[in-house]
Amino acid sequence: MKPLPIIILAVLVIVALIRLSFRRRGEHPLPRLGVFLTRLPGRQLLGDTGLVAGREIRERLRGRVFRVVTVILFTVVAAAVVIPELSSGTTKSQRIGVVASSTSLEAELQGLAKSVGLPVELVSEPDLSRARAALSVGQLEMVVDGTDKILVKDPVSASDTSVGARYVRAVSETLGAQRAFAQAGLTPEQAAAVAGAKPLPVYSIHPGKKARTTAEATALIGVILVFIVLTQYLTWTLMGVMEEKASRVVEVLLATVRPIQLLAGKVIGIGAVALAQAVALVAFALVLAQAVGSSLVQGASPLVVVATLAWLLLGYAFYSWMYAAAGSLAERQDQVQSLALPLSAPLIFGYIVSLTGVSSGNASLLVKVLAYLPPTAPFAMPTLIGFGEVTWWQFLLSVVATLACTLAVALLAARVYGAAVLQTGKRVRLRDLVPALTE
Amino acid sequence: MSEVLELDDLSRRFGNVTALDGLSFNVPAGQVVGFLGPNGAGKTTTMRAIFGLTDLDVGSVRWKGAPVGYDQRRRFGYMPEERGLYPNMLVAEQVEYIGRLHGMDASTAATATLRWLERLAVADRATSKVEALSHGNRQRVQLAAALVHDPEVLVLDEPLAGLDPAGIDAIGEVLVERAHSGRCVLLSSHQLDLVEDLCESVAIIDHGRLVASGTVDELATSGARRLAVRVEGDRQGLWARAIPGVTVSEVNGGDVRLVLDDTTNSDVVLDAARSAGHVTKFVFERRRLSEVFREAVGR
Repeated sequence: MKPLPIIILAVLVIVALIRLSFRRRGEHPLPRLGVFLTRLPGRQLLGDTGLVAGREIRERLRGRVFRVVTVILFTVVAAAVVIPELSSGTTKSQRIGVVASSTSLEAELQGLAKSVGLPVELVSEPDLSRARAALSVGQLEMVVDGTDKILVKDPVSASDTSVGARYVRAVSETLGAQRAFAQAGLTPEQAAAVAGAKPLPVYSIHPGKKARTTAEATALIGVILVFIVLTQYLTWTLMGVMEEKASRVVEVLLATVRPIQLLAGKVIGIGAVALAQAVALVAFALVLAQAVGSSLVQGASPLVVVATLAWLLLGYAFYSWMYAAAGSLAERQDQVQSLALPLSAPLIFGYIVSLTGVSSGNASLLVKVLAYLPPTAPFAMPTLIGFGEVTWWQFLLSVVATLACTLAVALLAARVYGAAVLQTGKRVRLRDLVPALTE
Repeated sequence: MSEVLELDDLSRRFGNVTALDGLSFNVPAGQVVGFLGPNGAGKTTTMRAIFGLTDLDVGSVRWKGAPVGYDQRRRFGYMPEERGLYPNMLVAEQVEYIGRLHGMDASTAATATLRWLERLAVADRATSKVEALSHGNRQRVQLAAALVHDPEVLVLDEPLAGLDPAGIDAIGEVLVERAHSGRCVLLSSHQLDLVEDLCESVAIIDHGRLVASGTVDELATSGARRLAVRVEGDRQGLWARAIPGVTVSEVNGGDVRLVLDDTTNSDVVLDAARSAGHVTKFVFERRRLSEVFREAVGR
């Protein structure tokens, strides 16, 4: 499929999303999306927790911030997939004028075109002056005058790596060598043997940086995706709890809902939106990449994709309780920032170490250790999977460790939340909660 | 089992501060009960204790004879002192959401929401965000959120604060109607004249203890008898000062207010007044609730 229709389609999708985000301004008593979402069977699935989660999903999806961030993320993904194809993908067939053509010359030119990935159409020209005229008016992109010389419209820079420039250089070098072989009196067989000479292999006694595999490239993108999505949604969890406390609505809610239900509903609701957005982004990237023939995520390792999404979920589950508990200690934005900093430190550490590892092409010992620690496993484990250095039981071990720690963190967070969320007037310090937590 | 909300021996300390100190009183169904007390007396702590938002050191809250837990509280409605609504949420969805958290299904909650928003004259703001509402309208929406599930017990902390007369009338009318339909209604307020008009009975607390309670009529007629007397020719009430068992409490524009002790016969007072001049007024007065309150809390 050609890239242009895809770009137009992507732009239309983005424009539609933007229109959707700005359309709702009071003209509908209950927006259609809202009507649909209010009918979500949250209560049937999870009781009051489901109701709370349903409200979170509904309000997050409606929020302007969500829509703007989603549009930006989709635009960035579309750009990351499509733009490299546009810059490198001069796949339009080029017309090459050939003067003093011969069957062997044409075969050589076609062979070279195929080797650099450039479709060409060879046009036989009766003489050089006619060929030059056609070149100057743009009917031809290049003229090959037997084995004598090559004409192009604009100079070709040595640093130009476009497929057209590479073809010009390949034709120049190959035909120049053939002319030298002929002048040296080599038979066609001898010339073919010389032309087919391959460089000697070079071996390093130290392992070097190997070319990045598709799985590693997928892991690299996955680590970045996990970091962006986790950062965004954990901040939402923190802010959401703080805002409920600041607006005092939590007092009305806790009059009828247990603290653990309210907390779990918020965590599950925001987590569902985060996972849905991540899945949509990945699906969008894969479909778009497939359509434009991008090598960026085309053929992405399915195992790494699934593992990345799984670790996004596990990472959110582990951190979200802590962020929610931290939110219950604050009731102003400036208080939130100082609470978020210590929580984000292990997250950023795991991200940077994993990103460095996947960029260097080698899984360091540190990455291998971090893959089993719940705060850093969401980044380190997908990285190891990208390197193909994880067995199923190692993966399972890390998952079980994270789930066990998540359960412990959730229980502690629920107690902190229950003790702190109704204390208003000043930022609650953990030491203030010790009596309540040790009762 | 009688429909009574019983607060029994509620005690709660915060560090060195005693918020509740063995507080006990009942809120019977069918009447609006005013919950009065000076700032810091423990009213809000009591209301929060009813909803389990404050742990009690001692004491219990019972409804229809059973301890109050989450199941019972689903049938309670609460309007906290520091109003609690999501600022960014649409009014109708917010009220409906609170209704569903109290156990209503989606369609019943939606119907009840519209009915209450109409009843409280905020239906035209159903699709507005709460943050766009005026103070009075927010108060009405908050009340709708407390009423949407047709609660058996309604607890309102300062529901009338900051409202204009129209708002007070609208909310007051709803509260009286709820009580007369057999619900328990407990409201706190510092607006004693409004409480006197609205409530059938009151409970007055101070320092976490009950200091007075009863129907408004009982409290108004309890204690020493009060007389307002006007005698032409002695507008300063000099005639009354020598009567044993009579205290002149106030002289205002010719009206002399007297407090009679239990042993004093009012006929003696009337005779003394007549002997001083022409008596144009001789009326037994009820105590205002504000007087009862000041007497009960000693300030």
